[in-house]
Amino acid sequence: MAEKPKVAICWLGGCGGCDEAVVDINEVLLRVAAATDLVLWPVALDFKYHHIEEMRDGEVALAIINGNVRNSEQEEVARLLRNKSQLVLAFGACACFGGTPGLANFTTKEDIFNWVYRDAPTVVNPNGNYPQPRTTVDGKELTLPKFYEQVFALNQVINVDYYLPGCPPPSYLVMNAVSAVLEDKLPPRGSTLSPHRALCDTCPRNKTKPSRIALKEIKRIHEVEADPDSCFLAQGIICLGPATRNGCGESCISINIPCRGCFGPVEGVVDSGAKFVSALASIIDAEDDEEMKKVISRIDDPAGYFYRFSLPVSLLRRKRF
Amino acid sequence: MSSYEPKLVTFSCKFSWGYLNDEAALAKQVKNWVPIICSGKVESSHILNAFKQGADGVLILGCRGGDCHYQDGNYEARKRVYLLHKILESYGIEKERLRIELSVDPEGSRIPQLVKEMSDRLKKLGPVKKIGERVGVASAV
Repeated sequence: MAEKPKVAICWLGGCGGCDEAVVDINEVLLRVAAATDLVLWPVALDFKYHHIEEMRDGEVALAIINGNVRNSEQEEVARLLRNKSQLVLAFGACACFGGTPGLANFTTKEDIFNWVYRDAPTVVNPNGNYPQPRTTVDGKELTLPKFYEQVFALNQVINVDYYLPGCPPPSYLVMNAVSAVLEDKLPPRGSTLSPHRALCDTCPRNKTKPSRIALKEIKRIHEVEADPDSCFLAQGIICLGPATRNGCGESCISINIPCRGCFGPVEGVVDSGAKFVSALASIIDAEDDEEMKKVISRIDDPAGYFYRFSLPVSLLRRKRF
Repeated sequence: MSSYEPKLVTFSCKFSWGYLNDEAALAKQVKNWVPIICSGKVESSHILNAFKQGADGVLILGCRGGDCHYQDGNYEARKRVYLLHKILESYGIEKERLRIELSVDPEGSRIPQLVKEMSDRLKKLGPVKKIGERVGVASAV
């Protein structure tokens, strides 16, 4: 009997939601388990990294990696899985674009450490201890992963063969991806395994959009009672639909929450934030500087909003200091 | 820092700026000059990409208010610049490094002058702060 293809599932800088999304494919998971040999899944199975280290290069058919790379351990695991795997799938917004943790690229490692280990109101740290990559306790050396200066998307550290965005990716796309691998029907390498158009193209609210939107005021979703059927942008509520890839199944839109952009840029676009700046600027109705300032001042943290999931892969990638 | 020459990228709309002058002759006077048709054509990503490629500033010269051949391309560009000021500041790039001027100058004689004025301002600001990027992650801290 031919050996079953080996599959590794691993999390790096992620929240575990992507692993949950794998579990969410329900009974299909049993089919996957029957057709493949799961060799690593830290969140669910008791395999260790040394089991992978002992394998031949390319012995693993597919590595499904979620989460971004922020420290040396994550980088090491990513490189290990790359060496041992024929295919690497970047799974979820963090692996594909850096994700929400990528917003940390607007600050420094130093500021993060100061807040977490010194300044946050709940911190009690009288000796001012900060984590060190190496420290000696009772004559023995202890090590911790090194914390990098910035967050990296997976493809900024290793070569990635396929991308499946989303926070987390929806079950039907996970199932499509799994079937494509099992049936050997994968698109060309480098493809994103989801539809290619913008969310607005499939948004059920699109038909309510007026031919020309002219916003005099921008509102935040919690400040108003949003109409559940009308285009958010036409209501003055920021929705990243025009600059975001579709395929999510409009899960936020259907519960009356505007798009935050977890599917990343539309096919062929590098910087979805820049695209959204252009889209939003064109629908703001302001004749002069004062009016423009007034409208824009209502957007709390525009850069954080427009790059919520994609800062590390944006053109400028991180803050300059 | 006296030898520091800021790198400025200038986009100007052909409908109002320098259309009576010889483009090649003007190009000799203005480095990194990109004559375009409509300032509204300058995408946000063009501007961010200029900074990514090492520009210290971006100057956009569009048509005078109400003069846009395409109705409102110049206004669109100006709104985009306002929003981008906010974005650039989050990236640690001073908003003074991006400027838009809506006016008309068929001879284009003011282009070198405006470029010089902006370059002087950029000189005072100095180069864009560095990202401190590493070549390979492995060599990190």
